[in-house]
Amino acid sequence: MAFLQQLFPWITNGPLILVQVMSGLSVGMFLFLVSAGMSLIFGVTRIVNLAHGAFYMVAAYLMSSLVSLFPGHPLWFWVALLVSSLAVAALGGLIEVTLLRRIYRREHLLQLVLTFGLILIIGTLVLMVWGPENRTVPRPTALAGSLDIFGQPFPTYYLLVLILGPLIALALGLVFYRTRWGMLVRAATVDRDMLGALGVDVSRLFTQVFILGSWLAGLGGALAAPVVAVALGMDAEVLINAFVVVVIGGLGSFAGSLISALLVGQLQSFGILIFPAISIVLLFALMAVVLIVRPWGLLGRPEE
Amino acid sequence: MPSKHGTLWRVVGVAVLVAFVLGSAGVALAARKTPIRIGEINSYSGLATVYTFPYREGIEMALKEINDAGGVLGRPLEFVFRDDKLRPDEAVKAARELVFQERVDFLAGCISSSVGLALSAWARESRFLYFATHCQSSRLTWDDGHPYIAHTTNNTNQYVRALAKRAATYPYTKWAHISPDYEYGHNLWEEFWDYLKQLKPEVQVLKENWPKLGESDHSSYITALLQSGAEAFFSGLWGSQEIAFVKQAKPFGLFDKLHFFSASVGNPDELDPLGKDAPIGAVTTGFAWYDAGLQTLHPELLDWVKRYMAWSKGKEPKLGATWGYATAYIIAEAIKRAGSTDHAKVIGVLDEGFTMEFPWGTVIMRGCDHQALPPQWTGIVRVNPEGRPVLAEVEETHGKDIVRSCEEVKRLRLAAQKK
Repeated sequence: MAFLQQLFPWITNGPLILVQVMSGLSVGMFLFLVSAGMSLIFGVTRIVNLAHGAFYMVAAYLMSSLVSLFPGHPLWFWVALLVSSLAVAALGGLIEVTLLRRIYRREHLLQLVLTFGLILIIGTLVLMVWGPENRTVPRPTALAGSLDIFGQPFPTYYLLVLILGPLIALALGLVFYRTRWGMLVRAATVDRDMLGALGVDVSRLFTQVFILGSWLAGLGGALAAPVVAVALGMDAEVLINAFVVVVIGGLGSFAGSLISALLVGQLQSFGILIFPAISIVLLFALMAVVLIVRPWGLLGRPEE
Repeated sequence: MPSKHGTLWRVVGVAVLVAFVLGSAGVALAARKTPIRIGEINSYSGLATVYTFPYREGIEMALKEINDAGGVLGRPLEFVFRDDKLRPDEAVKAARELVFQERVDFLAGCISSSVGLALSAWARESRFLYFATHCQSSRLTWDDGHPYIAHTTNNTNQYVRALAKRAATYPYTKWAHISPDYEYGHNLWEEFWDYLKQLKPEVQVLKENWPKLGESDHSSYITALLQSGAEAFFSGLWGSQEIAFVKQAKPFGLFDKLHFFSASVGNPDELDPLGKDAPIGAVTTGFAWYDAGLQTLHPELLDWVKRYMAWSKGKEPKLGATWGYATAYIIAEAIKRAGSTDHAKVIGVLDEGFTMEFPWGTVIMRGCDHQALPPQWTGIVRVNPEGRPVLAEVEETHGKDIVRSCEEVKRLRLAAQKK
């Protein structure tokens, strides 16, 4: 113990470890929202939607414009959160119906080219509409401060994320495992052709799933907007992280992305304390290990 | 017959068109001599535009002034802009196109240091003079320096040393830092720490943080800084990443417990979006043209700011605008002094070095390394009476008084060659 304490002086600092765990959890919750949508869309449509990060970015920009309409109004923040995430869901639906629907049966490379093209188009449109300046979104007044946790301050806004994240995970879990629609979605991830043969309108299901997945990306972006800078390039950053989480958790597995997001959050949180010099490598090292041991991810299913 | 009519009209139409084109070309040729053309490669799409748009406005404003005053050697000066998409390979492709097809006289530009280093390597191989501009790695003119590169803005060494000099006036001995984990971030921290240690040997570093470039969630780094036991910390973060860091750190009470020293938080690109979340009391660098002390020191500054705002339709000038403006004038001056666009002659002028006066002070183009030495400013973030975060208590240090000497540069180059 004495040896450990010399190596890691923080190890007996209970409150610090607690705050570190909590900040890791909040990192994980943000990651979960974005990666769950990406994983869901892949599971059902088999499309790796590279534009998922762009949806996240659009929601954050919408949030920055909407919130400034009625600054300081206590309820307006929540309305803006809902409106911007729903607007992105609608955008996702539109893109699915007009573009993606045409390439489900094409080879993967073509799908990557299309969704990559969407990144560039959306990025340029955002630059044209909002301009190059960095933007920020103020936190709602009620959540602007911090809470004292055994002498360590902890931002209240993160507490909101810590509460909202599990609620959304729970709601999605109920939808997937307790409703007929959820059953169809799960069936589609296993064998969509069979589902179609059984008389289910698969194409409508795909659109619905895409809208839900885009909404999750939008919600992630809108929720993150008050704690990050709303800026060009935030799409690429989130896309890489979400992609790593999805790969670790297993492509298409909802529970997998939850577990993997939480794992990545903690890894990041304690990696910083233990190996500050290489903390950014840890994430990718974990991904490499998972890919070697279970190439289909923690909870994914091996492709046949 | 309709078809004959058609043919006739077409012939007449083409003839008129040809006459018009020839005529206007003749008029144009008579009115102006062939311009001196600078191929300018920079990132004009995507996330760097927040810096490159004001920079380009500065260039265009200077070009207008230079050309209204008769141009350079009696010829108009012209910039041909190309987008590098922040990628070194794109930049080198653009350089080839500009040199071999557009036949530009010189190359300029860069915001990313990796683009700058790639263009510099190309310039050295091709023996074609290149003016590095907005990118700031000290390696450009030092470790990797050669006759075919000049750098028209300050390098990291100068503004980080200005910050370290100010940091040394505080009583702190226990330090920590947070810097992005890539070449520029490491460069910033090493330059800061090296100079602070020279000025104040008793300082020690208790915690290093190396988030990846573009990381959006810093909460774990913030809690790590909080428990480090340091009295002050340096940040090499910049742009949207530093905005995110500051927004996240404030509710953790980080800035109440550790004094914040940042290389870039004083720039309006960060202070303005931060608004009331700005880190009041932070010591940083920046271009505080609104500071009364700075305006007294440089009486022509305010007039230039007014002219710039008229030019840019009301936008306040940023540091990048002064760099673009100075770049155009420095290139023009080098050509004027050489009396020609011959590269060997212009390099000869750069080797001798020269000094220019700008509305914000003296800029020295140093001969030994072709490196610009402008004035450096540090200040403290405060809120002005209108509730806007600004840089206050501004102090000026000239680059020439803190920069590494020509002797040191020679040693750096020798060490780099051995590698």
